[in-house]
Amino acid sequence: MNDVSQITAAAVRELIAFRIGEQEFCVDIMAVREIRGWTPATPLPRAPGYMKGVINLRGAVLPIIDLGARFGLNTSEPSERHVIMVAHVGGRMVGLLVDAVSDIIQLTDEAVQPTPDVASEQVKAFVKGIFAIDGRMISLIELDRIIPEPEAEAA
Amino acid sequence: MIKTVLTIDDSRTMRDMLKMALADAGYRVIQAVDGVDGLETLGAQGADVVITDINMPRLDGFGFIEGMRADPNHRSTPVLVLTTESDAAKKQRARDAGATGWIVKPFDPVKLVDAVRRVAA
Amino acid sequence: MSDAADPFEAIKVVFFQECDELLGDLEVGLLAIESGAADDETVNAVFRAVHSVKGGAGAFGLDALVRFAHVFETLLDEIRAGRKPCDDVTVKTLLRASDVLADHVAAARGQAAPVDEARSAGLVAEMEILTHGEASTPGAEVTLDDVPEFAPAFAPVMAAAPEADEFGFRPVAFSFAGLGESVAGAAEVAAPAGQTWRIVLRPHARLYANANETGILLRELARLGEMTVDLDASALPDLGDLACEESYLAWTVDLVTDAGEAAIRDVFDFVESDCDLSIRLTEAEPEAGEFDAAPADFDIAALLAMAQAEVAPAPAPVVEPVAPSPSPAPVAVVAPPTSAPTAPAAPAAVTIRVDLDRVDRLINVVGELVIQQAMLAQRVTESGLARSSGVSVGLEDLELLTREIQDSVMAIRAQPVKSVFQRMPRLVREVGEMTGKRVRLVTAGEDTEVDKTVVERLAEPITHMLRNAIDHGLERPEERAAAGKPIEGTVRLAALHRSGRIVIEISDDGKGINRGRVKGIAVARGLIAEEAVLSDDEIDNLIFLPGFSTAETVTDVSGRGVGMDVVRRSIQALGGRISISSVPGKGSTFTLSLPLTLAVLDGMVVTAAEQTLVAPLTAIVESLTPRAQDIHHVGGHDPVIRFRDQFVPLIDVALGMGFRDTPVPPETGVAMVIETEAGARAALLFDAILGQRQVVIKSLETNYQQVEGIAAATILGDGRVALILDVDAIVASWRKKAVRIEAATRPDLKLAS
Repeated sequence: MNDVSQITAAAVRELIAFRIGEQEFCVDIMAVREIRGWTPATPLPRAPGYMKGVINLRGAVLPIIDLGARFGLNTSEPSERHVIMVAHVGGRMVGLLVDAVSDIIQLTDEAVQPTPDVASEQVKAFVKGIFAIDGRMISLIELDRIIPEPEAEAA
Repeated sequence: MIKTVLTIDDSRTMRDMLKMALADAGYRVIQAVDGVDGLETLGAQGADVVITDINMPRLDGFGFIEGMRADPNHRSTPVLVLTTESDAAKKQRARDAGATGWIVKPFDPVKLVDAVRRVAA
Repeated sequence: MSDAADPFEAIKVVFFQECDELLGDLEVGLLAIESGAADDETVNAVFRAVHSVKGGAGAFGLDALVRFAHVFETLLDEIRAGRKPCDDVTVKTLLRASDVLADHVAAARGQAAPVDEARSAGLVAEMEILTHGEASTPGAEVTLDDVPEFAPAFAPVMAAAPEADEFGFRPVAFSFAGLGESVAGAAEVAAPAGQTWRIVLRPHARLYANANETGILLRELARLGEMTVDLDASALPDLGDLACEESYLAWTVDLVTDAGEAAIRDVFDFVESDCDLSIRLTEAEPEAGEFDAAPADFDIAALLAMAQAEVAPAPAPVVEPVAPSPSPAPVAVVAPPTSAPTAPAAPAAVTIRVDLDRVDRLINVVGELVIQQAMLAQRVTESGLARSSGVSVGLEDLELLTREIQDSVMAIRAQPVKSVFQRMPRLVREVGEMTGKRVRLVTAGEDTEVDKTVVERLAEPITHMLRNAIDHGLERPEERAAAGKPIEGTVRLAALHRSGRIVIEISDDGKGINRGRVKGIAVARGLIAEEAVLSDDEIDNLIFLPGFSTAETVTDVSGRGVGMDVVRRSIQALGGRISISSVPGKGSTFTLSLPLTLAVLDGMVVTAAEQTLVAPLTAIVESLTPRAQDIHHVGGHDPVIRFRDQFVPLIDVALGMGFRDTPVPPETGVAMVIETEAGARAALLFDAILGQRQVVIKSLETNYQQVEGIAAATILGDGRVALILDVDAIVASWRKKAVRIEAATRPDLKLAS
């Protein structure tokens, strides 16, 4: 468990950090309901590349989103080595496919810095800010932007 | 001794309001939804005073009072009719049917309790 | 004293809930009267509904609502008493009045915009004319004076500081514990400067018959001031001649009070006509008490005690209300009430109220039970156990039981569509008014049941289609007359069960679809190619295309940007289908077909390109193994397969869904002939058929979104998710592609968008 040395009375957030490829990200832990191992997903027809399909989560149909693909990063095919983070986003339950989950971090708002301009446009769309811990740079992800709005049905 | 008041009205709102006013004044309140229900409840549970609406399905207030007065157990049970009409004809009809008194709707809870007190021994 | 504020608010909530029911009863009753199916009891019920709304509203001080309801109630009173007729004009006015009454209720509730004052006033005027005849002052308003005094809101009254009331009595507390005790102490002694009144009271028999008691009257008088009572028993006969129900006693009361005559008379308010009463002012000085037969030491408490004592048939000249004997009451015989009790209502089915959450949870668990049972069955089959073995047989029994539980549980949530249908008459009235069309709504099958989740979502599409039918389908009265049709158009809303689904039909006897115009608009909007050849049916269904609207001007009624495409999408989201059929000059019929429940489906499990899919059983006509000689390619590429004596398109589902890039030879797979809701046939090509199964439907939209060609998802026996096919959508999208391909090879044709 990493602790930020000063935890002030100001808003302290608990975040869960995860890894995609070489990069590290984190999201608000309140949104994450559980962590599961990977299971093969049923593909959906004509779905975007980052939509891997749907799986059965105790009777509910859970869409699986490959976060790396969503961020425009190079990703490998999903396998048992991957991990699914089941998250509650915008009134829906979704599964986020990542390489591995690392640890839980506590953070104050002040420690978060704005995303530097060097980051790609695609990443910037999802990243709320970045911060550093133990020399690691971690991007804070805004989950609401991950899920696309339902597209208008093709005529 | 706590007196029991039977309130008969097909409007749930009215039943609730009567109950609130009477219970606050220390009466025990039982309810019925129309004249038929009123006669059955009166027969089964008895009451010291009855308050009844006039316009009700199945058996209206007048019918209830006449039925009540025909029952030896309740010939002298006071019964007040609730009426929005303040015209003399309706009052007379109520009297003819056997009503002890009346309360005009919408009722002032103070006047309601007053009227009950005036007929309850 | 309890705090009246919270219970008061709670009762207000009850009142508005009750208003909803009363307004519903009101409309049902008025519609029955309109269609001639009403009797006296219906008219009474209608009166009572408005009467009750007014009564409750008065208690809460909802003035505008009370005023309107009062005029409404007055007219209804005239009608129920037979003093005014209930003809066609009157009924229509009453129906519109019921709409405005509902608006007043909604406004009073704070849930809706304030009432359209002009409309309300207009209806008030109409109703007054019907009530009083033309002689009434035009525009006479009902002032608050005409309506009984409103009680101020409960809370202020109860919280008001006690002040001297009309009795000159200052209440001390609302406790009645002191009732039986001496009242003298509670009453404030009137000022010595008070007036002296002499009150003579001779009750008639009926005073007692109506359960009034002299003792109580005297007690009430005593509250006004000091008094002395003198009993006159001179008329009392010997015991042998005593008739119990007669009244022989009289009292003379001398009362000193400053309360005034009105207060004194008020005490006798209830009994005034049941007694001889005289109240007159005597000299200021109270007379020295001259009593005849009364005890010297007068004690009201003792009087009361005696009055309350069981009535003994003693002829003693004490103040004792004469209890009528148990013979028929001597009151004037009243004719039996005209509203004689109708036949006792049929015993209602016993119902209980259940938390909806519990029902939903039960349905979910039963759904899981179905899945588990399927999984178990699969594992048993895979284990190679003989079908005749005890385990297999037991499993089959389990499947039957599970199905039974499921059906029963589904039935719990099934609701009649009535709740949706009953909002429609008002809608039809209003749309009719707005568009200037005369229209009559006929409904059928209101009791048809469907799952609660489906019922709620029917309202919007039905509303749109009714608006559409009236606004666009029905002709104006002049046109209808010219066409030899009855001036009043008919719109029919019906619900029925058909082959395991619920079907809702909305038909009108209007002018039908103008196919030339529809096609022209579709071409103008670039939706189809000008030279495209379409069947009548296909032209009719063009109206479901997005962006399509035949209204030149956006009418307030249907043209709010809500086209039939939105309607179709909302039906599809429910797993349903919509189609239209029309006869020019005669009318159109929209047919909605929906699954009975969103929860369960009978399906055929198939595979295609290693994906497991489910096709709804109701859509399947037949399955067959394609033979090369039965397959032909139209135009060189569109495969069709021979089925019975027709050729139907052969659709490679895996290819269409992107599960495969290249087509496979049809002879290696299996073809399933399906029929769409519109009756079109096609053959879907799969790799293999696995078997028939009842599956629990899981929504894709809950956590994801709608996917074209896919109706929903389910979880199979192996725990994996399988997609449920939307057969209609598959056929439709194939058609579009076919058109595209055709257009590509014929550049003179415009591309469909």
